[in-house]
Amino acid sequence: MSEVSIFSMIMNLLSDIVLLIGLTFVFLGMLGLIRLPDVYNRLHTTAKIGTVGAFGVMLSILMRAGFTPIGVKAIAVGLFLLLTAPIAAHMITRAAHRHGVGLCKESVIDEYGKACERCKK
Amino acid sequence: MKRYIPLAAIFGVIWCFVHGTFSLNSFIFGLLLGLLTIRPFRFLYRPETNFRLFSPSNRIISIIRYFMVLIKEIIKANIVVAKIVTRPKININPGIIAVPIRCKTDLGITGIANTITLTPGTITVDISDDHSVLYVHCIDASDPAAVCASIRDDLEKYVLEAFE
Repeated sequence: MSEVSIFSMIMNLLSDIVLLIGLTFVFLGMLGLIRLPDVYNRLHTTAKIGTVGAFGVMLSILMRAGFTPIGVKAIAVGLFLLLTAPIAAHMITRAAHRHGVGLCKESVIDEYGKACERCKK
Repeated sequence: MKRYIPLAAIFGVIWCFVHGTFSLNSFIFGLLLGLLTIRPFRFLYRPETNFRLFSPSNRIISIIRYFMVLIKEIIKANIVVAKIVTRPKININPGIIAVPIRCKTDLGITGIANTITLTPGTITVDISDDHSVLYVHCIDASDPAAVCASIRDDLEKYVLEAFE
């Protein structure tokens, strides 16, 4: 077996492992979306786990395709996800709070609500 | 128009990534597209404030260190949330707490807010009007002081070094 084919075999194996890790995190994120009680807690899973899951899939594409146009596009998509997911989560929580979506009943503290009350007065 | 050319060059590099080929043709095409894109959003680009980011050379090291901390924290965050999700009975006490921040510039505040969202158990909800307090939704808010301390010591230090 030549060195090139051994290298590509190892890269394919690594790509499969990264894909599996990414998909596991996406699965856990969706599980959290179903199980957690309110919009704020659900965003915890989708904003973080979704990012790393999708980033893992993109990394796996990069490993499989190398620095071909598809691989480079994959890494660009991954970086954009990493940059925009926190902003989307921030805007969704803010909009939800402004529209009066309450925190779940397990919540212990809401200093943002108090600050909004103070502003209105 | 001349001062937007460095920004448009960044757009050119981004276009190379999006297009997938690194050639002079795609770079120049991206640069022209960048100029067209910057034109309507001129008020967002203030070269005099944005370009301080690149001037000190030792800042590169702090930016690299910041990204290493960020990657470590993202992995930690995922394991924390995965543990909470897979537990048979979900037992959490979430809440929104106020976290005072020391960052002053827009870039620093954006950096710390995004970092907070990507790190374990916290999401930035909003910033106070005087830009001194971030409101952070925390999945375990039973001890607000400890959350504030961990944000101040573990994250804000690196953001201050890298972006201010």
